[in-house]
Amino acid sequence: MPDNAHPPILVVDDNPDNANIIRDYLESRGYPITVAYNGDDALKAFGEVKPALVLLDVMMPGRDGWQVCREMKQHPTLGKSVRIVMVTALDDWVNKRQALQTGADDFVEKPFELVKLAATVERNVKLLAPAS
Amino acid sequence: MDYHQLLRDSLTRLPTVAATIDSVRKSIQDRGELVVLYFNFDRYSKIEEIYGWEKLDSVLETTASAMRDFLQQSTLASSRLMVAFPNDDDFVFFHVPQEDAVAATDPEITELMTGLKEAIATQIELVHGEDIAALFDIFVGRALIVYNPKLRLERQIYRGIREAANASKSLEHREEARKVSDLRETLRDRGLYIEYHPIVVTDDQRVFGYEALARGTMRSMRSPEVMFEIAAASDLIWDLSRLCRDRAIEGMGKLLKDGELLFMNVDPADFADPSFDVDTLNVKDPTRVVIEITERTAIKDYPKFRGRLKEFRDRGYRFAVDDAGSGYAGLGSIANLEPDFIKLDISLINCIDANFIKQNLVETMVRFADEHGAMVIAEGVERKEEYDMVKSLGVHLVQGFYVHKPSQNAVGHKALRIAPVLTDQAAP
Repeated sequence: MPDNAHPPILVVDDNPDNANIIRDYLESRGYPITVAYNGDDALKAFGEVKPALVLLDVMMPGRDGWQVCREMKQHPTLGKSVRIVMVTALDDWVNKRQALQTGADDFVEKPFELVKLAATVERNVKLLAPAS
Repeated sequence: MDYHQLLRDSLTRLPTVAATIDSVRKSIQDRGELVVLYFNFDRYSKIEEIYGWEKLDSVLETTASAMRDFLQQSTLASSRLMVAFPNDDDFVFFHVPQEDAVAATDPEITELMTGLKEAIATQIELVHGEDIAALFDIFVGRALIVYNPKLRLERQIYRGIREAANASKSLEHREEARKVSDLRETLRDRGLYIEYHPIVVTDDQRVFGYEALARGTMRSMRSPEVMFEIAAASDLIWDLSRLCRDRAIEGMGKLLKDGELLFMNVDPADFADPSFDVDTLNVKDPTRVVIEITERTAIKDYPKFRGRLKEFRDRGYRFAVDDAGSGYAGLGSIANLEPDFIKLDISLINCIDANFIKQNLVETMVRFADEHGAMVIAEGVERKEEYDMVKSLGVHLVQGFYVHKPSQNAVGHKALRIAPVLTDQAAP
C-alpha cells in the first residue's frame, strides 16, 4: 500500500531496459511503480494511477517528454499536485529553461546513477503536499 | 480533451458558452431577449509573458472567484457567468431577466460593472500583490439580442458574443487613445514621481542601493509597464525615458546616502537617443549609478551597442542585465555585455524553494557571476522561504517585498505583509 513516504510513481521511458531498471530499483525501495513506454500511454496511466511523482524521459518518439509534462501539469485535477522530474541527457541552460516552461519541478541527468536518482525522488517526495 | 472539459472550464470552474446556452435556452425564448456582456482583460497576456502561464492560471482563478462572489450579491444574481473558451482568458456574461423581474437597464449594468471592476482589482491586489494588480484592466462590451424564432438560437447568441467582443475592443481602443493623451499630459507637466525600491545585501540585509521605479501621478499612468507600453506605441519612449532618468537622478542627490547606488532602468532603444549621453546626464558621481538593461529587448547591433556602453563605462557607470534568464539565450549573451550586476528574472525566484530546476539555474548563474566578477541580484523575493533559498544558493543581493517595499523617500522600511487596497486617489 502506498503511504506518505512512498507515494505512487509513474516511470516513463521508451527504452524498456531503462524503464525496468528504474522500476526494479524504486520498487525495492518501497515505491509502488507504474511504467509507460511512450507519451500516449503515459498520459493514459497518469489519469488512471494518479501518481504523486512522474519520472519522465525527454527524448521519446511521438509525443516527447516536454509535451507530456505540459499536458500533465495542465491536467484539471491532478496537474497542481503532481511533481515531475525530467530525465534528460541534454543538460544545458536552454534545456533547463525549457523544462521550467513546461512546468517541470526537477531533472536527473542521463546517464543517471541509481543513488542520485533515489536522492532526487526523495527530495521531491518530501515536498509533496501531505496526503489528506 | 475530455468531453466534460468542453462544458466546464477546469481552471475557473465556470461553464463554457456551449454548455450555458443549453441551460438558458428556455428562459431566453420565454423572455424574448438577452443581454450579453463580454469581459476582455486587456493586460492578462502581459502577466503571462512576464510571470509565466502558471501565474496567469492562478490570477484567472482569483478573477473568476471575485466575479462570482460579486455577482452573487448583486441584482444580477440569476444571470450566468461563463468562459468564452476553455482555458482562455476572456469571460462572457448572459443576463436573462427573470419572469417576474424587469430587465436591468443600461445604467444599472454600467454601475454594476464599475463595482465589479473594483471588486476584482481589490481581490487581485490582496492575493497577488500590487505589481500584478497594476496590470489588471477590464473592458466590457455589451450586446442586446432580441430573440427571433426564425433564426437558430445558438447563432443569434454567437453573433451577440462577437458583437459584444468587438464593442469591448473598440472601448479598449478608445481607452488607449485616452491613455496616450494622459501620457502627453504627464510628459508636459513632468507628472511623474519615483519610488525607490531597496536592494539589500543578502547576508545582513543592509541597504546596498535602490532601483528607481517611475510612477505617473495620474491613476491611468501609475504602472510603469503601462506607461512604457503606451509610450512605445505612440513613439514617445525617448521623452518618457528622459523624464524618468531626470527624476530619478534629481531624487538621488536628495534621498540616497553616501555609498548607496542608484539602479536606473534604461531601454536599449534609449542608447539611440542623441540626448542620452555621458555629458547630458546630470550625475555627480557616475560610480554610484548602475544602468539596468533588460534582456527582454533584442539588441540589434551588438558592436555598436557595446561601443555606447563603453562610453558610459569609461566614465565610471556600471551595468546590470535585468530579467536575466527570461529568454532562452543562456549565459553567452549576458557575458557579451560584461555586466557588473545580473538581475535574475522574477520567474526564476517565484517559488524557487519548491523547484529544483530554478535552484540549479540560479546556482549556475551565481557561479558564472563569481567567475566574471559580477554580483547576482534576486528580485521579486516575497516569501521567507524564497529569501532563505536564494541566500543558501549564494545570491549576493536581494530585492523584494519580503525585505522592503518601494517608497518615495528611499527609506528601507519593512513591507506590509498584505498589500494595501487600491484606491482611486492619485499619488501625491
